[in-house]
Formats: sequence, C-alpha cells, structure tokens
Amino acid sequence: MTAIAPRPGPTMKLYAVVWIGLILIVGLEVLLTYEHLPAGALLACLLGLALIEAALGVMYFMHLRYERRTLFWSLIPYLLFALVMMDHFWPDALRLMRQRLHGP
Amino acid sequence: MSEAATTLRAPPGALTEGSPYGIPSRKLAMWLFIIADAATFGAILFAYGYLRLANPDWSKPFAFTPTIVNGMVMTVVLLTSSLTMVAGLAAAQSGRTAAGVRWLGVTMLLGLAFAALHLREWFAMIAEGWRLFRNPMGGSPLFGATFFGITGLHLLHVVCGVIVIGVIALGFRRGRFGAGHVEATALYWHFVDLVWMFVFPLVYLMNVR
Repeated sequence: MTAIAPRPGPTMKLYAVVWIGLILIVGLEVLLTYEHLPAGALLACLLGLALIEAALGVMYFMHLRYERRTLFWSLIPYLLFALVMMDHFWPDALRLMRQRLHGP
Repeated sequence: MSEAATTLRAPPGALTEGSPYGIPSRKLAMWLFIIADAATFGAILFAYGYLRLANPDWSKPFAFTPTIVNGMVMTVVLLTSSLTMVAGLAAAQSGRTAAGVRWLGVTMLLGLAFAALHLREWFAMIAEGWRLFRNPMGGSPLFGATFFGITGLHLLHVVCGVIVIGVIALGFRRGRFGAGHVEATALYWHFVDLVWMFVFPLVYLMNVR
C-alpha cells in the first residue's frame, strides 16, 4: 500500500497577504484603465497584471507551489502551448482592422 | 490510515505503484479538468479578442458607476470567497469538522452574492435594450453575444461551484466525504476565481467609456 503524506501548505497569514495583494492588483487595474493609455498599452498592462494574479492564485491558493514539480511540469507547459497555438489568427484580425472603411 | 492511503488501497498481493505526482487520483483528475477548462475559457477569450479587434464599431458601454464599481465589488467578493475556502480546507484537514462546514457555508454565501450582483447587472443591461444579438448603442451586435456568452459561462461555473460546495459540505458534515473531497472542490473554486481575473479586465475594463 502506498500512502501519500500530506505536504505542508501556506499559513493563513500568507493566504491573507496573497488575498490583499490580489485586491491591490485589481485596484491598480482600475486605476490604469482611467489613465487614458493607448488601447494596446492598456491591454498589455491589464494582461500582465492578470497573469500575475493567476500565478499567485495557482501557486498559493491552489497549492501548486507546494506540490511535486512533476505536477507543475506536466500541466502548465501544455496549457501554455495550447494557448500559444491559438495565437495564429491575430494577423487576420489585424488585417481586418487595417482594412476598415472610413466614411466620407 | 490517511484518506489518501485509503484511496490507493489495493487487494493483498497486488502490485502497486506510487503516484508520480504524490497526490490522490481525484486531485489529479480535478487538475486535468481545470487545464481543459482553462483552454476552453482561453479559446473563448481569444475569440472575443478577435471579434473586438476586427469590428470597427465595437461599443464601449461601461461607465464607472454602476458597472465598474459593481464589477470591483464582484471581484472582491469572489477573491474573499477564495480566502474563506482555504480557511474551510485548513479546518477540514485539521479535523475541525464544524469549522470546516461553517467556512464552506460562508464561501457558498459569497458565491451566491457574486451571482446576485452579476444577475442584477445583466437585468439592468437587458432593461437598456441589450440582447445576445442586439446592441442599443447601434454598434456591433456581437458585443452582446460575447458579453453574455463569456460572463454567462463564468456565471454557470459559479452556480455549479456553489451547488458542489453545498453537496460536499453536507457530506463532509455527515462523514461521507473527507478533506480530500473538500480539497478537490477548493481547486475548482479557486479556478473559477482565477478565470474572473481575466474576464474582468478584458471584458469590462477594456470597454469603459
């Protein structure tokens, strides 16, 4: 019989710190939205902050940081690969954007 | 005997092999589901990005009040529900059944509050004339399709999560489910929270007036 010993996880204090950090990032996102940045720059900032939030949530709330590394390397690269493979249609969206007809 | 050991119980004499990941099979199954669901949400958000970029008359209907304020409150409610969920899991893993059930109950209430806030916003938009394929601002009708489609799929996940947490909490209180079940449910709930971390900036903040 193979017993799986529970692995130590974060403390409630660390969870609370992560929670506060996530809320601060959301506040920063809203502040940036009203800074009237160009759409591309705003999108890059918001996506970057969302990725930081996702990483914090996956690593701490979902305990991936405290699991064996094999779990991380078996899951995350494949998800990233699938998401990267979806990027091939952006040139077409950009083509349509540049072909917009402008009124007189 | 730990619950994880019980999960991997094999008949006497059978050859058994340890999990390469060191986690129970239900937790691994939940991780695999989450990865597949993340790819689904990724595909939907990519499709939204394509439509938003390719449509010249994309509407930007959201004002700071009430929509963005409402969205911020929803985000804080969902993030707080993740905190109460980890408190429930910690209580369940340390054998404090009553505290675990209580925290799961708080998580359910917060999930319901999120759903109620979301529906209130939906009804306000529907009252303004927004439909799946109708745009009262005169812009691309695909705005309604993507907005209601993406937020509706997320809302469906929230509602399913609340129901699952309720079932697990009841079973945990009666001794039918263990801390491992709570842990797998918590993984799902945190995932639903993380998806919102992308939906809020991309669907709401990128469409402010």
